[in-house]
Amino acid sequence: MERAITEPMASTSEQNGLTPRRWLQSLASLERKRLRGAAFLGSLAGFQTVFIVTGLAWLIDQLVVHDRAPRDLSLVFILLAVAVVVRALCQWASERLSLDASLRIRRYARSQLLDKVTALGPVWLTTQQSGAIAAQAVEHIDALDGYFARFHPQMRITVWVPLVILAVVVSLDYLAAIFLLLAAPLIPLFMALVGMGAERMNRDQFAAVARLSAHFIDRVRGITTLQLFGHTVAAQEAVWQAADHYRRLSMRTLKLAFLSSAVLEFFSSVAIAVVAMYVGFGLLGYIEYGPAPSLTLFSGLAVLLLAPEFFQPLRTLSMHYHDRAAALGAAESIVNTLNQPPVMRTASPPATQDPEALVELEGVEVSYAARGVVLGSLDLILRHGDVVAVSGESGSGKSTLLALLAGFVGASQGECRHAATNQVAWLDQQPCLLQGSLADNLRLADPEATHEAMQSALTRAGLNEVLNALPQGLDTLLGERGVGLSGGQAQRLALARVYLSSAPLVLLDEPTARLDSATEKAVVEALLDWAREGRTLVVATHHPAVIAAASRHLRVVNGQLQEVLA
Amino acid sequence: MSKVYRQFLPWLRLLTRRRRALMLGALLAGITFLSGVALLGLSGWFITASALTGIALALGLSVSLDVYVPGGGIRFFALSRTVSRYVERVYNHNSVLALLAELRFHVFGQLTRLDDLTLGRQRASDWLTRLTTDIDTLDNFYLRVLIPPLVALLGSAVIVAFIAIWLPGVALFLTVVLSLLWLVTTLGLAAWGWRQSYRHVANQEVLRHLVVDQVQGSAELTSYRSHHWHRRIVDSHEHKALHNQRLVGSRLALGNALVAAVTSLVALAVLWVAGEIFVQGLVAGPIVVMAVLMALGVNEAFSVLPNAFVRLGASFAAAERLNKLAQADAASMAAPAGSTLSDRGVSFEQVSLRYPDALDLALDDVTFHLPAGKRAVITGMSGAGKSTLASLLMGRLAATRGAVHVLGKVPTELSMTYRAEHMAMLTQQVDLFDDSLAENLRIADPSATDERLWQVLGDVALADWVQQLPKALDTPVGEKGQQLSGGQARRVALARLMLRDPDVVILDEPFASVDEVTARYVATSLDRWLAGRTVIYFVHQIDQPDLLPRIDYHWHLDAGKLSAMPIDGS
Repeated sequence: MERAITEPMASTSEQNGLTPRRWLQSLASLERKRLRGAAFLGSLAGFQTVFIVTGLAWLIDQLVVHDRAPRDLSLVFILLAVAVVVRALCQWASERLSLDASLRIRRYARSQLLDKVTALGPVWLTTQQSGAIAAQAVEHIDALDGYFARFHPQMRITVWVPLVILAVVVSLDYLAAIFLLLAAPLIPLFMALVGMGAERMNRDQFAAVARLSAHFIDRVRGITTLQLFGHTVAAQEAVWQAADHYRRLSMRTLKLAFLSSAVLEFFSSVAIAVVAMYVGFGLLGYIEYGPAPSLTLFSGLAVLLLAPEFFQPLRTLSMHYHDRAAALGAAESIVNTLNQPPVMRTASPPATQDPEALVELEGVEVSYAARGVVLGSLDLILRHGDVVAVSGESGSGKSTLLALLAGFVGASQGECRHAATNQVAWLDQQPCLLQGSLADNLRLADPEATHEAMQSALTRAGLNEVLNALPQGLDTLLGERGVGLSGGQAQRLALARVYLSSAPLVLLDEPTARLDSATEKAVVEALLDWAREGRTLVVATHHPAVIAAASRHLRVVNGQLQEVLA
Repeated sequence: MSKVYRQFLPWLRLLTRRRRALMLGALLAGITFLSGVALLGLSGWFITASALTGIALALGLSVSLDVYVPGGGIRFFALSRTVSRYVERVYNHNSVLALLAELRFHVFGQLTRLDDLTLGRQRASDWLTRLTTDIDTLDNFYLRVLIPPLVALLGSAVIVAFIAIWLPGVALFLTVVLSLLWLVTTLGLAAWGWRQSYRHVANQEVLRHLVVDQVQGSAELTSYRSHHWHRRIVDSHEHKALHNQRLVGSRLALGNALVAAVTSLVALAVLWVAGEIFVQGLVAGPIVVMAVLMALGVNEAFSVLPNAFVRLGASFAAAERLNKLAQADAASMAAPAGSTLSDRGVSFEQVSLRYPDALDLALDDVTFHLPAGKRAVITGMSGAGKSTLASLLMGRLAATRGAVHVLGKVPTELSMTYRAEHMAMLTQQVDLFDDSLAENLRIADPSATDERLWQVLGDVALADWVQQLPKALDTPVGEKGQQLSGGQARRVALARLMLRDPDVVILDEPFASVDEVTARYVATSLDRWLAGRTVIYFVHQIDQPDLLPRIDYHWHLDAGKLSAMPIDGS
């Protein structure tokens, strides 16, 4: 198929209304129960921490001040030990739940993306890089993990746990609570600060990392040229220089960005210090106002141990903040694909009116968003057994005509009618080789095919010798991790696929281009073979032998069809 | 175990080469950790001491407590924790970024020594993604796997030693439990998660291949209506891969829960034991509280260990793959010794080449001789073996059978510098780098003056166009030369070639996507430059014989077989 049939559509996130944030929200709502459960259990673990810490303070008070032996308090010890174990269980269950939620969400998101890619079809995909789509389906989908598994539950935990801690501290010593409360209005401020810092850091870092990787990849891609010119040593030096330049640049940003988390750290440390001094002086009797005189070792220690816990959820959240930024970045690229307008023929086509006809085109036009009408308007009737050669300059619309007949694009005008047995066999210049066995590569044409049928198809395509030479026969792996096929062998494999499939309509896009002479001959013979079988063939070609063998010859000129009469 | 060590060793060496940076980084992280523990412990001591003194004062006893030293200590640790955390983060990130530069330098150096066999086997974009991911994995290694266990181990040792001053029994107990916990969270979790996290990397790669297949096979899958069949394959693989991730994740969850439970239980146990000792009057109350709170603070150093170690298998997989590059690098250096010829042209004697795992020969018994100073054209479809032939010629591949001689020598035995100096090649795919036009040209000759650059640009009819660009020679050409048209890029590549003075020149489709008028002009200056050199043109077919002047030989390649053709025209 000719490359670049359509230009990439303009970014359509706004048109379709799906934005990265909205998409993430809709994904989260799929697993609402698990995510809520994870947040609930996580908060529960936080509450248990409060219980354990106050329990510990009480035990210490009993032991040190009231001179009770540990043996007398064994029940409390056991109770606290149980609480510790239960808290660990809660943490474990919370993590498991959010892990499950994240796995399910990613599975769903990936299937949503792959469905969309399937629905957009081959014509749209020719404008895309397969590596980029693969990155979306693998790396970008996995980048959602941290957001759902960590950030999302932690957001709710950060709301509830500090509130409970504050309530407990109020009941112990309201002056200490006021210290924390004074810090409390600062919390949203610091959240914003951390957010802004992290957001900017992430954005800058992503961009800088991308630039650095691009530089590295650029040099690796051209390594052959560097070798040929004996320029490798200088290039290696340049790779180091680029990375070192990046280091110096990003250290400037990092020094600032780390400040925001240092502030949080500072607050948590200062809270401990202030509380310790206040409680200490209170216990010594130096402070005579407020609740200070009624402080005990129990209430003092409890407040001391609760102070850092008050800030802990926020510190955890700020640690997970980059998960959110990573997820948003990934979502942006995926949503861009999800928002693409449909290209393929959508509904099943209407049936032909003439029983003899396989395909009827009536006043059909095909247009692409970026290029306008590229084909049409066409009127064409394909009858059973027609062998049609289609010729024309590259870019005239030959490939679009084949894509239309295959259903890879829908008609923007007019009507396309197909006979009920609407299966199509496809063959182009670059047959696709799947990463799998030879049998898998044939099943592509007929997933239910038997081994006998596959063997016979391979024999008819002239691959019998190859099959015999393969170590594991049909189960031999092909491609990168298996046996490599030459271009001619790959094209013969594509012929075998057509033999295997019972599709009455065979569409071929320049099947003889770029082939060695022996394979070229094999392709022409196969064409004649299929014509004798009574299949309908449409071949885009310049090959004189193919044009001569055809029963009809169409020429495409600037998107218009002309029948060439013999 | 020794296998694991062997694969990690070269990277560990690289990572620990700056030993001082590593030690200082770990020290700063240790100070942060210990400041936190000390802050909590001292605060507990101070509060308890105050409480006891307060009670004594209330009972009318004359006791006193120095509040200034502990108060100062508390303020100091609060500040030192914040400051050392900040300094540690800045310092260690700087170290990591410096390491990243070194890792890339190192890996790039290995790549530059690879031959076409290894380079060609990689699906370009795919392989590059993997390569950068692997390097990133290893540079994470420093902050996640090297420093934290060191801090946990040494930091705990300091804490235990401190507690041992008053409570040796408690310290012994802590030593045993924390050592066990350390072993379990590092080596234990690494072993437990090894297989799954190792497999994770391969799983991701298979998934990526399956998606690439879906994209590249989209026409076939759609027309044959076999999308559902392929999707089932993707789904079943994904199911397995996600199950694997679930296993890793649940082990991590268990590891995290274990650390949380053990550190708290340890604190409780310390309280019990120290409480017994306190009841016997062998230790002061504030010391007991301090020991308990310090034991509680140990959690901070241990809580980061499970996540790093449960995924150690993945780091291993990355190291292993990068090591394979080094091996290929070593393999491509070795070449058998061969004879030399007195003729300084190009000769192929019954040369065959089979790529590993290929069924057919890429070149089948190719014999030809091109005397020095003569010109030949070799035609053939893509896939007929032209680029294989060119790689053999340039010494970038070794023949399976037969003998190749260029300049009288076996090309694979020539050093890369010698080859670069005496042989030049215009590759079919033009590699321009994301740099300025001048930088791209100077790859061929770093010392070339601007005048020289203008001269070669004139030879390829680009001088006028470059002159009217606002940045002229400093114009960036963009990634893969995207800012230029295909024809312009090809002419830049030709100009780059003409900056050199080689004996043997290979030109693969020199005029592809160059318009006819320009091609004729460029052909004339190319002809001038080629005078006296041994030249081989590779083209699909000879469309315009006048673009390839003074051809002495014409050979045709078809499915790896070479045959002589009559010379048409002059």
